[in-house]
Amino acid sequence: MNDETKQKINKRYERELDKGERFWPDTIFKDLITSLAIFLVLILLATFIGIPAEPKADPSDTSYIPRPEWYFLFLFKFLALYGQLPLIGKIEWIATVLIPGIAIGVLTLLPFIEKNPNRYYSKRILPISIMTVMVTGIVLLTLMSEVPTVSEDGSTLLGTLQTTVGIFIPLTAYILFAVFKSNTRLMLWTTSLAAVSMILISGTVLALAPEKKTEETEVATTLVDQIFAGQDLYSVYCTECHGDDGSVAVIQGVEGLEGEEITPINSRDVLYTITDSAMTEVIAYGRPNAGMTPFGKTYGGELTRSEIDYIVVFMRYMWDDRFEVPAEALKPLFPPLAQGEVPSYDVHIQPIVKRYCVSCHRAGKENNNYLMTSYEEILTTGDNVDKNIIAGDEGSYFLQVIQEHAIMNPEAPDEELIGVMPPNRALKSNIVEVFFRWIMSGMPKTAEEAGALSTTPTPTP
Amino acid sequence: MFKNIYDWLDERLGLNDLYTNLLDRPEPKTTWWNTLGSASMFLFIMQGLTGIFLTVYYTPSPDHAYDSVQYIMEGVAFGWLIRGIHHWGATLMVVLVFVHMLRVFYTASFKFPRELTWLIGIGLFLTTLGMGFTGYLLPWNQKAYWATTVGTQIAGTAPFLGEFILKALRGGPDLSALTLQRFFSAHIWIIPAVLVGLMGIHLYLIIKHGESHFPTKED
Ligand code: HEC
Ligand code: HEC
Ligand code: HEM
Repeated sequence: MNDETKQKINKRYERELDKGERFWPDTIFKDLITSLAIFLVLILLATFIGIPAEPKADPSDTSYIPRPEWYFLFLFKFLALYGQLPLIGKIEWIATVLIPGIAIGVLTLLPFIEKNPNRYYSKRILPISIMTVMVTGIVLLTLMSEVPTVSEDGSTLLGTLQTTVGIFIPLTAYILFAVFKSNTRLMLWTTSLAAVSMILISGTVLALAPEKKTEETEVATTLVDQIFAGQDLYSVYCTECHGDDGSVAVIQGVEGLEGEEITPINSRDVLYTITDSAMTEVIAYGRPNAGMTPFGKTYGGELTRSEIDYIVVFMRYMWDDRFEVPAEALKPLFPPLAQGEVPSYDVHIQPIVKRYCVSCHRAGKENNNYLMTSYEEILTTGDNVDKNIIAGDEGSYFLQVIQEHAIMNPEAPDEELIGVMPPNRALKSNIVEVFFRWIMSGMPKTAEEAGALSTTPTPTP
Repeated sequence: MFKNIYDWLDERLGLNDLYTNLLDRPEPKTTWWNTLGSASMFLFIMQGLTGIFLTVYYTPSPDHAYDSVQYIMEGVAFGWLIRGIHHWGATLMVVLVFVHMLRVFYTASFKFPRELTWLIGIGLFLTTLGMGFTGYLLPWNQKAYWATTVGTQIAGTAPFLGEFILKALRGGPDLSALTLQRFFSAHIWIIPAVLVGLMGIHLYLIIKHGESHFPTKED
């Protein structure tokens, strides 16, 4: 740039200054208003949307679908689309390093690439067109980042459409720009057409996209929630050996560990001597020598780090006398039954079964193939399914075994067919009562069905 | 009385000079688009203030990071608000800086004599992204952990240097306590220091050259 041009630019700027404004107060005033508006938006976002709770990091949980920060999503989408291209699609670093590198390089050196002093848009239509198509692409790829490229039925339509938006249209536009670059009108037309078609196709993709499965990862944030979460997990995974309250001293009814003597884990011996982090480790790694399998995902179990933490919180607050249970955490497992009231699966049976039975009666355990994780399973599985639950029959095997009457094998009368349930200790009488009324009244599922069966006791005069 | 104090200070600090040089300057007619730069700066200051509050409770270790953040949300008065502002401020700052850059591009404000302002601006853009990238890991939750895992992996695909970059970012082959420590230090000391320095130069250049005028057919 020669001195003459520079002087012209400076002169031109002087003229604009003369008919301009004062930095203070005019310019600053506008700045302050914008900042204030942003401040308000921030407060609103923080208050009404907040930050979604997330479980603790768990390096062993390889099933977690990793996603980058939102402002890198477009790059990931671009990578995925680029990877579908034949041949060059295989050379990863072209998309991860080369293309972004060139983009940033060009952006950085822009003042030295676009050296002419022209500032009016029609005099620099080429860079403006390229930037517009590129930014449109970035925004649209970000919006489409959640849409899969291959649908569940194996169709690649969505992927093709996305590649059209993310790669083909922009590429075509850039080539046309190179051809048209001296014709402002054609450039504007090409840019608009490219942008509009990209937006329309993306709209179609978003409309066709399979509905996102909102996978609610439950994160217990308050102490009470954590205790409940821990209680549920404990019931499923630990009761079979340690009992519903951790008091089991001799394991019963567990294959391979029958009669094994253990320290009750609700005792001070355990709670006072094992610290939180050691406890987490015991649960994650198990006691393989003594017969407790590993539970942490790191060691091949099923529990994540957060879940193990919840169990420890539960054990501390419920059993450790140095901790005080929040009153809210002590609400009863199920609402007590009134006279004549019929319990339902949803309100009464489910929580009881979850706490006392599911830890053995789920897939992969020894239980005569009797699964109890849902209403249907309870009624329709088990080796003795035809005798287990018979509506209105006190002799149902189910009712017998929970009342400490083992069922003997009809063919070999001194052999137990089904032992007492749960094997390690008898159920409390109010729980047996719930099961009893439920089966005698025909196993209603919902509270309404149960309500219809209930009889209000006729008041005795 | 106030006049006396003001005069005394002015003699020593040169308040009047500051006023004429910094505030009482002529500007061309500015539009609302010109407020985006100062808005980015405002967000940076907010991030700084809320960030300082967060470091009071935050512990950068894999064992305690998650719980300390949980404690900020549940146990500290208005902790949720402070963290909420910091969280959304980070998102908004990336958006604003990007849009600010776009407006500078579309009005061709990066041309003579503002080339250097643009170069520094690119530095600001990259450091802003760096702030986002390093800050994201700190809560040590699933999202953070895996986002950083893939993020660093991408850097690792670079030819020749990939392996080295990956290890330098993670402080080893895998994400570990070292990674968290590293990201924390980058997030609260290294990158903000660079950012503040660059911002100082950026502002000096803007005052020196004045804001560009909105281009018309003449330009
Ligand atoms: C397959 C049976 C089994 C299951 C299921 C089981 N444990 Fe254990 N657990 C054991 C045995 C056996 C021991 C060894 C006890 C001993 O040595 O006194 C043990 C020991 C422990 C100990 C340490 C006691 C000590 O003195 O070191 C803790 C704590 C514990 N279990 C908690 C749990 C928790 C929490 C769960 C549920 C996630 C669970 N266990 C599930 C069988 C089991
Ligand atoms: C410690 C593990 C364990 C727990 C807890 C447990 N069961 Fe069982 N259950 C078994 C095993 C093992 C069998 C297989 C029969 C046997 O070995 O006695 C079984 C069998 C049964 C059967 C017979 C199924 C069939 O079709 O043969 C019923 C009914 C039953 N359980 C009900 C319950 C109920 C109700 C609970 C909860 C109150 C419960 N069980 C808790 C281990 C358990
Ligand atoms: C932390 C990020 C940034 C802050 C705090 C910041 C701040 C500012 C401020 C306060 C202004 C003057 C007001 C305005 O025109 O908006 C400005 C102007 C400018 N900024 Fe930035 N900026 C940032 C990022 C960037 C980026 C990413 C670029 C481009 C790569 C850039 C390039 C420019 C240029 C060239 C000007 C002069 C514009 C003109 O004179 O019209 N800045 N910046």
